[in-house]
Amino acid sequence: MKNIVEARNLEKHYGDFKALDGVDLSIPPGSISGLIGPNGAGKTTTLKALIGLCDVEGELTVAGKDPRDARHKLMEEVCFIADVGILPKWLRGNQLIDYVEAVHPRFDRARAEKFLSTTEIPPRKRIKELSKGMVTQLHLAIVMAIDVQLLVLDEPTLGLDIIYRKEFYDRLLNDFYDGNRTIIISTHQVEEIETLLSHLIFINKGKIVLDAQMAELETLYTEVIVEPEHLAAADALNPIYIRDLLGKKAYTYEAVPRAQLEPFGETGTPSVADLFVAKMKEGKHE
Amino acid sequence: MNSLALNQFLALLYREVLENRNLFIGAPAVLAVLLFVFTAWIVSMAPEQELATAIEYLSVIFDGLSPVDMASIFMIPAIPFMMMLYFCGLIYLLNALYQDRKDMSVFFWQSMPVSNAKTVLSKVVTIGLVAPVFYVAILFVVYLIAVLWLTLLGFSYGVQVAGLGYMFLAAVASLALVYLSAFVTSLWLLPSVGWLLLFSAFAKRTPILWAAGVFILIGFLEDFIFGSQYLANWVESRSNPNQYFIYEFSDVTDRLLSYDMLFGVLVGSILLIGAIFMRRFID
Repeated sequence: MKNIVEARNLEKHYGDFKALDGVDLSIPPGSISGLIGPNGAGKTTTLKALIGLCDVEGELTVAGKDPRDARHKLMEEVCFIADVGILPKWLRGNQLIDYVEAVHPRFDRARAEKFLSTTEIPPRKRIKELSKGMVTQLHLAIVMAIDVQLLVLDEPTLGLDIIYRKEFYDRLLNDFYDGNRTIIISTHQVEEIETLLSHLIFINKGKIVLDAQMAELETLYTEVIVEPEHLAAADALNPIYIRDLLGKKAYTYEAVPRAQLEPFGETGTPSVADLFVAKMKEGKHE
Repeated sequence: MNSLALNQFLALLYREVLENRNLFIGAPAVLAVLLFVFTAWIVSMAPEQELATAIEYLSVIFDGLSPVDMASIFMIPAIPFMMMLYFCGLIYLLNALYQDRKDMSVFFWQSMPVSNAKTVLSKVVTIGLVAPVFYVAILFVVYLIAVLWLTLLGFSYGVQVAGLGYMFLAAVASLALVYLSAFVTSLWLLPSVGWLLLFSAFAKRTPILWAAGVFILIGFLEDFIFGSQYLANWVESRSNPNQYFIYEFSDVTDRLLSYDMLFGVLVGSILLIGAIFMRRFID
């Protein structure tokens, strides 16, 4: 099946600064992909490029269209939530629903209202009077009621407390994701989405530094808590990252067979957060 | 236009009204209240004899005039409203493609399947056709009260000013002239509309400084390089306030079909295409 996102050699410059430096992406339909990177890594620029809000060089196709030429057509197939601040503050909730109903051919008003009825959002209140969590719920209610192929989320839970964050992702999985739709999430809060993801992408300094399926991580990466007597042998296998762990050293390896590492100590698959740190500091040791 | 395209466009216009209700409804409403307070204060201060003379003078002026003839006289109280409409229009256009980028809501608007061309066109239609509706509606209430008050005042002095029905028809005719003035002016000033929207879409901050600054710079460069002032003269030729008011229905066709008008519409359209292009990306 054709990938829903296909990008080749995307580049974006802001003066001398390279925001994107040869980004390649292939995201299959039905996947939940996490785009993870530190501040200024190029996450938001990448997501903005995917929905046609940012002019980039390179080949780019999203849902079969070039977002740079056909943003408004593409947005019939794609929904986007940036951080919580982007709904127009002067609108009321019911006016927002009226607007989306009028402009979006795939919006189901009854579904949005059903979703909102499970929240405490007063529909006639202006958005500026709602809490951050409520604004996110409102935006999610709109998005849930639109029948799209791809949902792009850029730091969607930024600034929310843990209850709203958990509810956001629960709703996303239970009410939006059906196995056919695709979700791309960019976030700093790696631990919260780790269990949702089927696909993991790390970006740093405008370059993709990891692009793998979650199922592949176990065979690609191993973390070993190395016993002191094996440190020299462990060093010889070129770990990508070494960190101190409870008085011992934890080594992270890429593409080294696990069986080869087992004699050095306790082995396991690094968590996404640990792998993220490892890839960001690849070659540097704590 | 299919029904989705029409619904989208109507929703865009509805958005403009909701977002700019202070400029389109609040401002003329406050002006109307101020006008009544001021008029009531003047009337209360005026000696009774002078008031009676003024009423009689009005009845003489209106005597023998048809409602359409009276309409241009009725337009006089509308002039401050029209000046306010043009001033609010300036503020509106400067913010039209800037404010949502400033408050980041542009990410929401651009996440909807609405083209940039439609968005920019909705701003032009709003200023040329929609905003004047609210000014005319508020003026209608002002005129209704004024006509009733003039009639009652006339009765109290034993003078028939012009007949209630005649004055009502004259008010309606003058409101039609107000609306036509606003519409024709929006076309006459389409180069300014396009220029303001272009810099509203372009500026990262203070679009008014960009719009004014670039214009002054181009004028200066023309003078410096070619020793001519074509741009300044052309703008000046379109800046006479009398061009912004239509007092006779017969003037409308002449104004719309003039060479100057069509050339201005062409220049304005090119600038609007520039604004649509500017709106494409948020970088």
